[in-house]
Amino acid sequence: MEQALREICGSRVTTDPFELAPYAKDVAYVPAILVHLLTNPLPKAVVQPISAEEISSLIKWAKQGKIPVTVRGGGSTAYFNCIPMKSGLVIDTNRLQGFSEIELDQGNQKKMVWVKAGMTWKDLDDGLRQQGCAVCSSPSSAPSATIGGWVSMGGLGIGSVPYGSVHDQIMAIRGVTATGEIVELSRPDKSPARNQGSEQSDLQFNDLMGTEGTRGIITEIKLLVRDVPEKEEHLLAIFNNATDTGVMMSWLGGEHFMSLYNVHFSSPEFMMSLQKAGYAHEIPPGKYSLEIDLEGKRDEVDQAVAHIRKQVKVLGGTLLPDGVGAEEWADRFKSLRLEQTLPSLLAAEMTLPVRNFAAFYERLSKLGQKTNTLCVTYAHLVSPDMALVMVLYPSDELNLIRYIVDLSFTSNLYKLGHRLGGKPYVIGFWNTPYLGKIYDKGERERRRQRKQAADPYAMLNPGKGYNPPNIILNSYVFGFAMIMIGLFRPMVLKILKGGKGQ
Amino acid sequence: MKTIEELREQIAKTSYICGSCGSCRSVCPVYREIGWESSAPRRKIALAKEVFLKKKEKQATGQYAQRLQECTLCGKCAEICAAGIKTRELWLNLREDLRARGMEHQNLTQMALQVKTTHNISTFPNENRLDWVDDLDEVEVEVSKAGSEVAYFVGCVSSFYPMSAGISQSIVSLLDRANVNYTVLGSEEWCCGFPLLASGNSQQVLELAKHNVEKVRALGVKTLITGCASCYHTWTHEYPTILGEDLGFEVLHATQYLAGLIRTKQLEAGNIDETVTYHDPCDLGRNSGIYDEPRELLQAMEGVNFVEMPHRREMADCCGGGGNLAAVDKELSQAIAVKRVREAVATGATILTSACQQCVQTLQMAARQEKLPLEVLDVTELLWRSLEE
Repeated sequence: MEQALREICGSRVTTDPFELAPYAKDVAYVPAILVHLLTNPLPKAVVQPISAEEISSLIKWAKQGKIPVTVRGGGSTAYFNCIPMKSGLVIDTNRLQGFSEIELDQGNQKKMVWVKAGMTWKDLDDGLRQQGCAVCSSPSSAPSATIGGWVSMGGLGIGSVPYGSVHDQIMAIRGVTATGEIVELSRPDKSPARNQGSEQSDLQFNDLMGTEGTRGIITEIKLLVRDVPEKEEHLLAIFNNATDTGVMMSWLGGEHFMSLYNVHFSSPEFMMSLQKAGYAHEIPPGKYSLEIDLEGKRDEVDQAVAHIRKQVKVLGGTLLPDGVGAEEWADRFKSLRLEQTLPSLLAAEMTLPVRNFAAFYERLSKLGQKTNTLCVTYAHLVSPDMALVMVLYPSDELNLIRYIVDLSFTSNLYKLGHRLGGKPYVIGFWNTPYLGKIYDKGERERRRQRKQAADPYAMLNPGKGYNPPNIILNSYVFGFAMIMIGLFRPMVLKILKGGKGQ
Repeated sequence: MKTIEELREQIAKTSYICGSCGSCRSVCPVYREIGWESSAPRRKIALAKEVFLKKKEKQATGQYAQRLQECTLCGKCAEICAAGIKTRELWLNLREDLRARGMEHQNLTQMALQVKTTHNISTFPNENRLDWVDDLDEVEVEVSKAGSEVAYFVGCVSSFYPMSAGISQSIVSLLDRANVNYTVLGSEEWCCGFPLLASGNSQQVLELAKHNVEKVRALGVKTLITGCASCYHTWTHEYPTILGEDLGFEVLHATQYLAGLIRTKQLEAGNIDETVTYHDPCDLGRNSGIYDEPRELLQAMEGVNFVEMPHRREMADCCGGGGNLAAVDKELSQAIAVKRVREAVATGATILTSACQQCVQTLQMAARQEKLPLEVLDVTELLWRSLEE
């Protein structure tokens, strides 16, 4: 195997167990007993191709031997999205680096670049800013998430309010199909396609959007970029309760300010955890904070700031002094600092209608109190009416029983969110039991058909995104198991006296 | 000084904080060269978690030791860490543990023996510390001169390595031009101990620290200056901790002191018609917080067209010469340096400056290896050249 791979990728191949081990992990800790019960995550080999041609050869080789192929970018997700379920070959895209000269579309006067899949979003943004441009939006994990990785996930993050999902910013995409064909696919609703779909495998543009490397492999995207804004303002507003905060979020979404770039919510518990670690001391304890980021033309930003100031006052909130918001913005990629206070966190991430945000937060608080669980929440506004909500709660990976019973609480969080119109943000492996909550029956069937058409031998990232790959992950079996484990949770926490995590 | 058990406890606690997000990956100069996850800081912390928190001692393999020592200690991972982990401190603690386990790289063991024998990192006897003075015609360098206001701590690299002698020669020439009453320690200057700290050998540094501080105190100087970024970091950040007391005199990097002389007009910069860029040494910039004074000196020279590299100040890339990396893997160190000199050339600069003898040496070698049209100099060398021209 190694010899064949070396013929394609030279020395950029490893089968050394020491090197392979990290490719069986992502950011989430999952007890080995669960991992090995459900998956075989250790790849047989990892390769680092530097071109679409190499990836094509790798896919053709893997197809011959029926070897599963899993693509990995930054490895910065938490649901085993890029972890093999059936061992096989991992294609690490991190050597696909660089971006083209900025092009100006004469028709719509929009700027765009071709960027390779392995670049991180931060590296791309830094590089563009040297030329007076910037990415339109980026994930909150921009220093680690790769271009291909975020496009393969939900694509929501900082800047999604004005620019939408990253999927909306892609004009064309280059990739490799499950048969090893190299394709360039143009956005169907934009310019005339050079190659509307793959001839051999029927791969289509949308097959590569948010599908976690299950239908094809992204090697390069043509991305809309923007000019560096004339002005930035970063406001930090604090409120006394979740209701006013939720109203403010809805108002911000509904006003359609041209310059509204990002809105970030932090719960009092989140701030308290940061403050215990020595951060965010400017924010009074017990308050609900909203960081409001405005970017754009000078007068648009100034007008929006004036309106926002008034509205904050109307809702009984307070704007903190200038500089506090700017500091929060500068630290926007450092939310994990709360792990200094609360290591070993478990989480649920979901999209939620912003009109229900306050109700969700209030019910979450009650659930936390009832189950003696400290819930730490932050959220981004990702469209005028939708928020991406992250709820974290402490566990202890050093205590297997505690950790396993704590996992059941994630199920409670998704249930709570679902009642209020929420959906798990990404699927990966661990969220396959929730597929029914994410897509309706028709959509699930349509997705399965597309998978079958694009990857008939189920070679690409098997076990993810379509059907629960294991009876244990069947939504009914899993749901029942979670309820049963959840019943034991209060008793276990009581015995361990770990109700608040520490 | 902490016991090894206390250090291990600290490593365990720190490793638990890491969320494995991977922000550290793309900024790590070593990961960018090696490319495998095992070389990324997050993986090293994950292994530390296994060994120290979960007590899986079998994970402490030779490959684990090698990866821990393939690090320039540049601290860029700490700068970007989403969890706010002081990673540089963690790497040093892990190296202390490696040494305690007998897993230290053999070249580092050899280097420690060398320092013990000669009190410097070279194979020359310490009496040769002032050989670089022989080439100075117009400047008289006095050793341990009583009543001096300033002591100049030269550092091993520009004391013993001819390609770096220009730095010490420029510094004393500038001090002389500004009529500064200074002295040097000569053979009483011992290695500051930075290379030992970087190899997890803080025990051996105690003796060096005691000796150096005692000798400087005996001179009664108000200020100690050094042109070496690592010596500066050790004097200002490590010695007070190791000795558990204030030093009793001010310690400045040569660029800080010279910038002060220019501000007070005791020294006037000359003219250089060149496009110049500046490489922030990790130990002076990110790890000590000094960014402005070297730039102040460059901009004080008439004719200098100063241009910045994209990676600068807090986010400056490492030269590849830090953390004893060259002793562990010379090719890796050189590959990192090559990236940095290419970045300098891309700015249009014809001169790349730095404020660290190790950085200058490493970058000089890379520029030569790549046959790039780039001269690499210390800021003090360029400043002296501006006056000579």
